Amino acid sequence: MILNRRLFVGSLTAAVAGILPTLSFAQGKGTIAIITPSHDNPFFKAEADGAAAKATELGYEVMVLVHDDDANKQNELFDSAIAAGVKAIILDNAGADASVAAVQKAKDAGIPSFLIDREITATGVAVSQIVSNNYQGAQLGAEEFVKLMGEAGDYAELIGKESDTNAGIRSKGYHDVIDQYPDLKMVASQTANWSQTEAYSVMESMLQANPGIKGVISGNDTMAMGAYAALEAAGRTDVIVVGFDGSNDVRDSILKGGIKATVLQPAYAQAQMAVEQADKFIASGSTGVEEKQLMDCVLVNADNAAKLETFALSA
Amino acid sequence: MKSVSIALCLLAALALPGCKIVKTVAGSETAAAEAGEAGDDARIKALLDKTYDAELLPLIAGTALHLADLRVAIAAGLDTAGAAHGNKGSGEGAAWNFAVKGEGKVVEANLTSRARKAMLDTDGDGKADLTLQLGPVIKGSSLRDVAPFYKFGDFRDQIEFAKLARALNDRASAGLAVPEGDLAGKTVSFSGTVDLKAAGDPWLVTVVTLAVAP
Repeated sequence: MILNRRLFVGSLTAAVAGILPTLSFAQGKGTIAIITPSHDNPFFKAEADGAAAKATELGYEVMVLVHDDDANKQNELFDSAIAAGVKAIILDNAGADASVAAVQKAKDAGIPSFLIDREITATGVAVSQIVSNNYQGAQLGAEEFVKLMGEAGDYAELIGKESDTNAGIRSKGYHDVIDQYPDLKMVASQTANWSQTEAYSVMESMLQANPGIKGVISGNDTMAMGAYAALEAAGRTDVIVVGFDGSNDVRDSILKGGIKATVLQPAYAQAQMAVEQADKFIASGSTGVEEKQLMDCVLVNADNAAKLETFALSA
Repeated sequence: MKSVSIALCLLAALALPGCKIVKTVAGSETAAAEAGEAGDDARIKALLDKTYDAELLPLIAGTALHLADLRVAIAAGLDTAGAAHGNKGSGEGAAWNFAVKGEGKVVEANLTSRARKAMLDTDGDGKADLTLQLGPVIKGSSLRDVAPFYKFGDFRDQIEFAKLARALNDRASAGLAVPEGDLAGKTVSFSGTVDLKAAGDPWLVTVVTLAVAP
């Protein structure tokens, strides 16, 4: 928190300097604001790092901010970014509905927004919405889960934070596949809000109520890590756990034979792509591509986990 | 500007008590629900009714290359083959999708899984080189992505777009007559779609027509 604030103030200073390019930075192209959920989750850190690296490479200053999945805070961050006169905003938003107004506000102030990871429920407000095909990814994860389960057995589902559109999309993608197998029975389903610690306690109680559980499908990797830790503590490492995101933590677990699979979202590359589009838009007024763009996800299991590093698979 | 909007807000607020807004709000809420997720199933069904028989099946029948010809084309370069004969799914990293037809001998079939499959030898070397998806569970979205007229941008979000893929798979699988009993050793001819991200990917064909030789 302190770190964030310091980062924020520091970036803000840089940004203020950045809006006077003719006076101070003749070479500078201005500042790009990068707003994401908390970096506690390595996925969002990878996004911010990817965007910042690309922006710096292209000659921009960066202003890295976190909204902690709080739409009000996000709104304030937008005000700050607008006041600082940033050239563009790269955003992983704090709510599909709640974010529309903030993005619109930036647009009205002449600042284009480039969304990554999560969609908003309006089009024509952001310039780009580059999102992982979470539904396709969830289907991949579910297909692997079904295979590992042998198409039968009791299972539990851990769902992400409700305000995050991807929580619902992934759950729907999972069920789209799993519900086609009548011998797979969901005995428990609960949110753990993307949180590792919350997933640990949710898993503990799920296991108490349903000792016959054979598998757990989780909306993301941090919850999968929490669930697996609880299973391990209960001596139930036989339970099949599948996550989503492609984090290094889960990679390591897969390589040790713990968690069985996850689905990689190319977070780092996606953030870089958004900055490239922002750069093009700033220079020419157009990105040359459609607003809504999907990026396919990739299944990660014991076969390819060793190639995974910081949300990217090496060839 | 700000004062104008404040004035407008005030006007609107003052005018409100005199308005009968109940009916309109109810009406627009229904419309919003229909445009939103609640209306997906009806919308997708209407789209399928309009396009599946009239556009998609003719597209597959009309553009399907014979297996051998498609293999030759892909061997010369997936992107070139894709641009000439296929369609790319929406988004970065999406696969090329091709319509394909051919025949082969069933080496092995799994008809007990919910995702029934038949592994075919199509080049006569006795080894399976292609898998037919026989439903009812069908993986992937190649039926949707083979068609240039199903565009992601025309859909509300990835959920609605995914529902289309699922509905197409269900429609195709419902139209298949898969014979009971062991398929191994039988010769089948088929048409369908295949998606490839790399030239060396295994071929997993979503079948739209299937005929088993007696």
